[in-house]
Amino acid sequence: MGEKISVATQWLESCAGCHMSFLDIDERIVELLQKIELSSSPITDMKHPPEEGVDVCIVTGGIGNEEQVEEIKMLRERCRLLIAMGDCAVTGGICTMRNFFDREEVLRRGYIETESTVDGEIPVHEDLTPLTDQVSGIGDVVDVDIHLPGCPPSADAIWFVLTELLEGRIPKLEGNVLKYGSDGG
Amino acid sequence: MSEVQLTINGQPVKARSEQSILEAAQAAGIDIPVLCYHPSVSAWGACRMCLVEVKGMRGLQTACTCPVNDGMEVQTETEAAVDVRKFVLELLFAERNHYCMFCQMSGDCELQDAAYRYGLDHFTYPRPYQKLGVDASRKFFIMDHNRCILCTRCVRGCSEITANHTLNVRDRGFDSMITADLNVSFGDSGCVECGTCLQLCPTGALIDARSAYGGREKDVVHAETTCMQCSVGCSLDVVTRYSRLLRVDGVWGSQPNDGLLCVDGRFTPLYEERKRVTAPMVRRDGKLVEVGWDEALSVAAGKLKEGKAQGLATCATTNETLDAFQKLFGKVSGEAGLLEPVAPELGYGTSANLADILDADFIVVAGAQPLDYQRVVGYFIYRAGDQGAKVAVISDTPNKLSERADMTASYAEADDVAKAAAEAKKVVLIYSVGIKGKVMAAFRELGDKLFYLALSPGRNEKGATAVGLKSTKSNGAPTKFYLLSEQVEDPSLLGELNGAFTIVQASYHSPLVEQADVVLPAPLWYERTGHVTDLEGTVKPLSEVLPMPEGVRDDAEVLTTLAEMV
Repeated sequence: MGEKISVATQWLESCAGCHMSFLDIDERIVELLQKIELSSSPITDMKHPPEEGVDVCIVTGGIGNEEQVEEIKMLRERCRLLIAMGDCAVTGGICTMRNFFDREEVLRRGYIETESTVDGEIPVHEDLTPLTDQVSGIGDVVDVDIHLPGCPPSADAIWFVLTELLEGRIPKLEGNVLKYGSDGG
Repeated sequence: MSEVQLTINGQPVKARSEQSILEAAQAAGIDIPVLCYHPSVSAWGACRMCLVEVKGMRGLQTACTCPVNDGMEVQTETEAAVDVRKFVLELLFAERNHYCMFCQMSGDCELQDAAYRYGLDHFTYPRPYQKLGVDASRKFFIMDHNRCILCTRCVRGCSEITANHTLNVRDRGFDSMITADLNVSFGDSGCVECGTCLQLCPTGALIDARSAYGGREKDVVHAETTCMQCSVGCSLDVVTRYSRLLRVDGVWGSQPNDGLLCVDGRFTPLYEERKRVTAPMVRRDGKLVEVGWDEALSVAAGKLKEGKAQGLATCATTNETLDAFQKLFGKVSGEAGLLEPVAPELGYGTSANLADILDADFIVVAGAQPLDYQRVVGYFIYRAGDQGAKVAVISDTPNKLSERADMTASYAEADDVAKAAAEAKKVVLIYSVGIKGKVMAAFRELGDKLFYLALSPGRNEKGATAVGLKSTKSNGAPTKFYLLSEQVEDPSLLGELNGAFTIVQASYHSPLVEQADVVLPAPLWYERTGHVTDLEGTVKPLSEVLPMPEGVRDDAEVLTTLAEMV
């Protein structure tokens, strides 16, 4: 067997559900780890791919703040093939609900007006990254090679994409592995 | 109308000359995607999903509107057609809020299905995120313009099926919006909440407040039964999940109503708030107490044997129950009759069905208020009027139909209406208990071209009449047996009890139930088996959509048991 394929994952404006679904491939992960080497990921110690790059980067979550803009640009630079996994990475997903309001209105609602908030204030600090005007999918910031929608995509859909890639094919999503939302049909 | 021969994707297909390419393809089992097309409304050709290539014709053709021709060669999945469909889908997804992950229709959405079919895995175009309104001003369902693709199925359903003409499209192009009347909220509009638009909507734009998020098509159970809310007898598709009523749909193509329902058939019964009677009760020391069936039946049978009894039934039950009621009173001393009035026999003409309304060129409505009590009949009259039939209303009191009538007359002027009707080819006289003798006489001379539809207020009046039950008045019998089922009783009943021993068979608690000496719980419309007779005289089955609660027994069975005991 040749050299293992290096894979990094990252979550951006995301609930982590897509990574949970990735773990739902269950025992197949053993087979997968024989063929890939897991580089950085939010659930391992290394948080960013090495500068020399990885073969594949799987990104979940959309782009909702300036830090995520920088992050996705860096991830794009450091991988050969970028997969947008899940509805948020593909389209902005559920986080786009805030796009129907302006940024100040969203912050005011979240930090001041929520029913359980007493004397709230909108936090401002140099360490806090500003929100983008709108939430978008990662494809609006960088080029994406493979889109895998779903909220989350099923473990089988994730497995399908990975095994197709391992076989040297660009996966063509259709049928049971192409679904939007949660259990969309 | 002739037969033509064409090929679709190389497959020879026979079709009738008045069919569209889409209809011919569907009949041959060839699937062409659609969004704005629905078989129950006119073809519109707006969504461009059904574009196909026809040899020798320039550009792509909308299969739903393009008529078939002899020798036509159609290709449905060419690269050009598929490219256009994908392009159209991408534009539709870009235009408004089509994020499936927070939509109640996800999983059952026709837009989503089309996107799956053509492998759309991401958005190509920027989305404007325009914030459109959500109109929840109606009680039973909600319009979310953000999910709307402007296919106008709702508009066409409103004007062609219900013929109420509430919905329309306002503005142009990107600014186009579905609107009600002259751009008022749906709640303030002339909407009659029949829900036809809700059933037609291909996306999540129209949301049923009751069943939204309640279960997807793969999770729910469908059962076909007959509506028992009025005497029309519409076919219903009742949707349930986990033994809970979710939604009621019409059944396209069914008789007599062809899928059209009214607010009382589709929505009202799902919002019932009366308290259910779930166990037999007898009065002991002045108080109603729950007892077993054996005891309740033996008390009731004992009283029925004792002396004169009167049976008073509403028609809100099955033919079997009404028959058993009649038979029970054949065995005891006393008589059974109906609490509701029955429309008189006309004595001439041909009994009509609902389709005859659409076929007529003159419709007379006399002493009836179908828009209040048999709404589906009212909407059929609207439709006939739209098709050019003259509608005349004869009434001495205000009638909602008058607004859309060509002619309104008082009872005294009935002869003028008859004179006008004499010019027509086919006349349907629709009447109810309010009709006067003079009016009934006025149309006799129309002879063969007169069809009539008698609308009685009782729900299963035809079934009651068939077993010989007639409208009656309360008499002085010392024992009274009320067969109420789920009907709301007339408050005057209480005044007529006069201390009689009262047996009530009812589904819900009510003032009469509280006064009763014996209470026998009865099933609801969706728990019943048996039959009802629809407006056209057709005997239609009821199916047990959900089981009866423990403690409730089928009323026909109870009445038969009682008849054996007396």
